[in-house]
Amino acid sequence: MIGILKSLYVTFSATLRKPVTIQYPTEHREVPQRDRAFPILLWDKEIDEPFCTGCHACERACPVECMTVTMRDNPKHADGTSKRRKIIDQFWIDYGRCMRCNICVEVCNFEAISMNNTWAGHELSRFDRNDLVIDLDQLLSQHKKGQIQEWVAD
Amino acid sequence: MVTEERELETVDLNINMGPQHPSTHGVFRMVLTIDGEVVTDVEPHIGYMHRGGEKLSENMDFRQAIGYQDRTDYLAQFLNEQAYCMAVEKLLGLEVPERSEYIRIILCELNRITSHFMFAGAFGIDLGFFGTSFTYGFREREFIQDIFEEVSGDRLMYGYFRPGGVVWDVPDNFVQRVREVLPKSKQGIKDLDLLLTDNEIFVARSRGVGVISGDDAIDWGLSGPMLRASGVAWDLRKDRSYSIYNRFDFDIPVGDYGDVYDRYLVRMEEMRQSIRIVEQALEQLPDGPILPEKMPRKLRAPASEVYAAVEGARGEYGIYVVSKGGDKPYRLKIRSPSFCNLSALKTMTVGNYVADAVAILGSVDIVLCDVDR
Amino acid sequence: MSYTISNAWLDALVGMIVIVLLMTLVVLALIYLERKIAGRIQMRLGPMRVGPHGTLQTLADAIKLIGKEDLRPRSADRWAFELAVFAIFVPAFLAFVAIPFTREWAVSFLDLGLFYVIAVTSLSFIGFLMAGWGSDNKYALLGGLRAAAQLISYEVPMVLSLVAVAMITGSLNLSEIVEFQGRVPLFVWQPLALFIFIAASLAELERQPFDIPTAESEVVGGPFIEYSGIRWSMFFLTSYANLFIYSLLGAAVFLGGWNWPLGEEVGWGLQVALMFVKTSFFIVFLIWFRFAMPRLRIDQLMSFCWKLLIPFAFLQIFLNGLVLVYEWPDGLLFVTSAAGLALLSYIIYRTVSVAPRRVRLVPANPGRATAPAAAEAGG
Repeated sequence: MIGILKSLYVTFSATLRKPVTIQYPTEHREVPQRDRAFPILLWDKEIDEPFCTGCHACERACPVECMTVTMRDNPKHADGTSKRRKIIDQFWIDYGRCMRCNICVEVCNFEAISMNNTWAGHELSRFDRNDLVIDLDQLLSQHKKGQIQEWVAD
Repeated sequence: MVTEERELETVDLNINMGPQHPSTHGVFRMVLTIDGEVVTDVEPHIGYMHRGGEKLSENMDFRQAIGYQDRTDYLAQFLNEQAYCMAVEKLLGLEVPERSEYIRIILCELNRITSHFMFAGAFGIDLGFFGTSFTYGFREREFIQDIFEEVSGDRLMYGYFRPGGVVWDVPDNFVQRVREVLPKSKQGIKDLDLLLTDNEIFVARSRGVGVISGDDAIDWGLSGPMLRASGVAWDLRKDRSYSIYNRFDFDIPVGDYGDVYDRYLVRMEEMRQSIRIVEQALEQLPDGPILPEKMPRKLRAPASEVYAAVEGARGEYGIYVVSKGGDKPYRLKIRSPSFCNLSALKTMTVGNYVADAVAILGSVDIVLCDVDR
Repeated sequence: MSYTISNAWLDALVGMIVIVLLMTLVVLALIYLERKIAGRIQMRLGPMRVGPHGTLQTLADAIKLIGKEDLRPRSADRWAFELAVFAIFVPAFLAFVAIPFTREWAVSFLDLGLFYVIAVTSLSFIGFLMAGWGSDNKYALLGGLRAAAQLISYEVPMVLSLVAVAMITGSLNLSEIVEFQGRVPLFVWQPLALFIFIAASLAELERQPFDIPTAESEVVGGPFIEYSGIRWSMFFLTSYANLFIYSLLGAAVFLGGWNWPLGEEVGWGLQVALMFVKTSFFIVFLIWFRFAMPRLRIDQLMSFCWKLLIPFAFLQIFLNGLVLVYEWPDGLLFVTSAAGLALLSYIIYRTVSVAPRRVRLVPANPGRATAPAAAEAGG
């Protein structure tokens, strides 16, 4: 009988505590700074072009081969406004294949790619799998709008 | 008139606890042959989650292959990554700096605690609690997973360890956060203890059920809490001590009867011992680098083979790597604990009731991605 | 009814409409209450989105279930499959007839009220057998047989405990039983009978710890596996209707109904409120028990009934008989019954718990090698 009374006691004392669940779509939890949602590209605001030069390092390092990268000559280098000789031409990431392992961020020499650490990176549901292939403009859009908290790993 | 005695003719019923079932933890199919309510034969069917992980790892180099290790035993991920990193470090001759060793131990033991919380929750449901034990276990798990998210960035597939160390250093408030979480874990263990351990109905359902003796356990190749519950005091942290486990003062719980209740008690006690290890490690955590100084840019291995095993949450998780030179493994074999533990299912289940079959499967604590890789 | 409607048929019709309306509303409220209490026990919120704080959730569920496709397996035995629903559903509503809510109002004041209620509620096991057999599914068969075994077995202690009560009050009329408890409610005189009644009604309702027939994690859904949509919802509602009936019965028989402690003179509003409070006491306790206990195995369940509850029910009747025949003072009723309850608890305690088992600890690093001085205190 004692064991049954213990179970009854602990279930009763649990009713007096505050519920630990929140109503998700109306309230959101805080995500920590290091949260890894999906990769996005960063925009260099001073020169007004992406950091990414299209060097294929992340494409080679990706374990699931989810990226496709092409590069072109940078017109701004010819002007002299930018130090980057080549610049990214087209960049596709298939979010459906990406396993968010962070290796692309590690190997990038230019710190041009980063993991999205906001809620918008998590709420990416689509009705069609092909809509998950994200192109360059969409990848750059969030950082351009200033919605990413940047951080540096030490 | 002469009436003759005739045996009543009966037919054993074949029940299929199919791939979709609330209490086979994952897609696992068990065909039970029952005679009334007593089980006479068990035939497990596995392979629904086979994804060819070992083959996939042959196409990835030593850094990329860490991603797959998270996805085998997805409840004790850091322990899997630890085994893989140990194997590759042995192969390449890397030496892990002290700070990384301590960080790895702390995270591994915290992960063991979360895995056992999940076990306690799911085991309660198998025995009929209808949700209460599950939410209690998961509440505590969430606090620890918040720490994991702050450290590595992900809630379930961490990918934080690398051969040679860890990928980046822990945040500044790591020690303080872990110290905040440990009392909550102790409270959670106490809650689950009050709810489950002494409950007479729970005890009556699990005592004397699914017994396997120590000799049988060794014959079947069991490891982890299942082996220890049968009376064999074998734990890789003690007997084949790896990493820096020989610096901590902790105990190994060993059961006597080898039944379902003993396995549950062993896992609850392991949680408390893991908290002890974490507390000691937090005090000893040194400063320093997290990757070795002479870290090669590209990991190329000599032509050799190596086996490294850790004491995972479910048993001995081992990685066997064969390399023929180059930066990719030629063969990567995963010795998964759940697969070997599951092989003893028939021995334990035959002769018990149908309801006990569910309880025994719950006490083996399998993870299907680990069984099928 | 005490205010008579001249036409007996009209009277019956009004009674029927009242029963159906009241039961439906009460059952909808009970389902919501159970989900909310379950949520609080499990430290979560429960239904919150449909309606303010989720109050319209049950209505939404009912609409969804009505809109579902009505399946029938081709090889199912058609009449058994379809009529099983009614066989379970109707007795619960019938039992409502004899329960008194106030001194003046019940659907019908039956002289054999208690007998009628017991007889009618025990009819439902046929429905389980019909559902289990008619579904042509091994899981359903297993669940149906388990249900039938459990329900038939636990009828006996339920009936015996109510017989013990009837012996003391000397009548089977539920109103007279309630009136008997003017000063002292019956649970004071008969704690053992109350315990047996609660245990047996948990089993009759198929709730944890006795929910073998619909064991969610083994035979998923038991005899009701093949039912969907509105047929399944009728089963689901019946289990809550039964919960209501048994709580009403317990409140009327053991807790004093509308009578204790305020007596017969108060107005009908207070009587209904009292009845409501006592019923909800039972309901909340039964719901709480459901989420705090695992389930028993079938052989343990059966041995609990036949080896423990039934002998003690007989013992209760025997002790009552002794006290009543020899006209010993009434207090002795309490003493004997409490002693019986203590004995029952002791036997349960001795049967189930042997010495608490703990695992032995083997130190991992005896004679530990070098450890930095800071870790002297350890864990």
